[in-house]
Amino acid sequence: MTPELTALTLAALLQVVQYVLMAVPANIELGPGKTLSPRDRDRLGGNIQDMLSTRTARLYRALDNHFEGLILFAIATMVVTLGEKSGTFTTICAFVYLFARIAYVPAYAFGWSPWRSYIWLAGFAATTAMLIAALI
Amino acid sequence: MTEITILVLYGFLVIITLLMQATGAMTQLGMGYLLSSRDENRTVSGIAARLERALNNSITAMVLFAPAVLLIVVTDKSSSQSVLAAQIFLIARLVYVHAYAFKLTGIRSLSWTAGLASTAVLYFMAL
Repeated sequence: MTPELTALTLAALLQVVQYVLMAVPANIELGPGKTLSPRDRDRLGGNIQDMLSTRTARLYRALDNHFEGLILFAIATMVVTLGEKSGTFTTICAFVYLFARIAYVPAYAFGWSPWRSYIWLAGFAATTAMLIAALI
Repeated sequence: MTEITILVLYGFLVIITLLMQATGAMTQLGMGYLLSSRDENRTVSGIAARLERALNNSITAMVLFAPAVLLIVVTDKSSSQSVLAAQIFLIARLVYVHAYAFKLTGIRSLSWTAGLASTAVLYFMAL
């Protein structure tokens, strides 16, 4: 297994952790009566996401954002590995991505603005660099 | 051009779409809001909103397309037909983003269908 694939596995596990971090407070705040329901807007009186506390809603958005990041990163690691372009540079990029996405969660939850956006940019740039490295 | 190269190019297409969507959001909502925690829900309109929907759709398409390409490569089923299917996907998705941004309604749905169909063909080839 290449180091990039290790980073990908850890990033996927981070997504599992992010799920738990969001779902546990969400269920405590809303109660299983709402979360286990079909979440029909007319019955709940709006979108269920809008009923969360500020911090839980931020964790929800952080989870949502990582889906986009993760799918691009998954492609980047796979093409680097399959194209046999794995090296020091792509390894550094992969771990920059992983640590950026780990830091992104508290940055969003605690409202470290504008650092959250810069942290996001680091992960995004690392993924783009890996995709470019796969082509050359 | 291999399927893997096309997948990388599609990755770039999504990145460019994201950057255009972010530019639109920045213009309409302001940099201050984007850098904030966005606790108040603000939405964009017009071309920025269409780019946001096009981006979301492109990510859905990517989640389906990437495993298809990886399956073809890992199972050694790559052929000129599978490369063609991947090329059709890439062109269709390129057309899709433009068609959404510039409100070319019929073309958008046609290119979406072409993209989905070529992804489905890749899965059949992998079998």
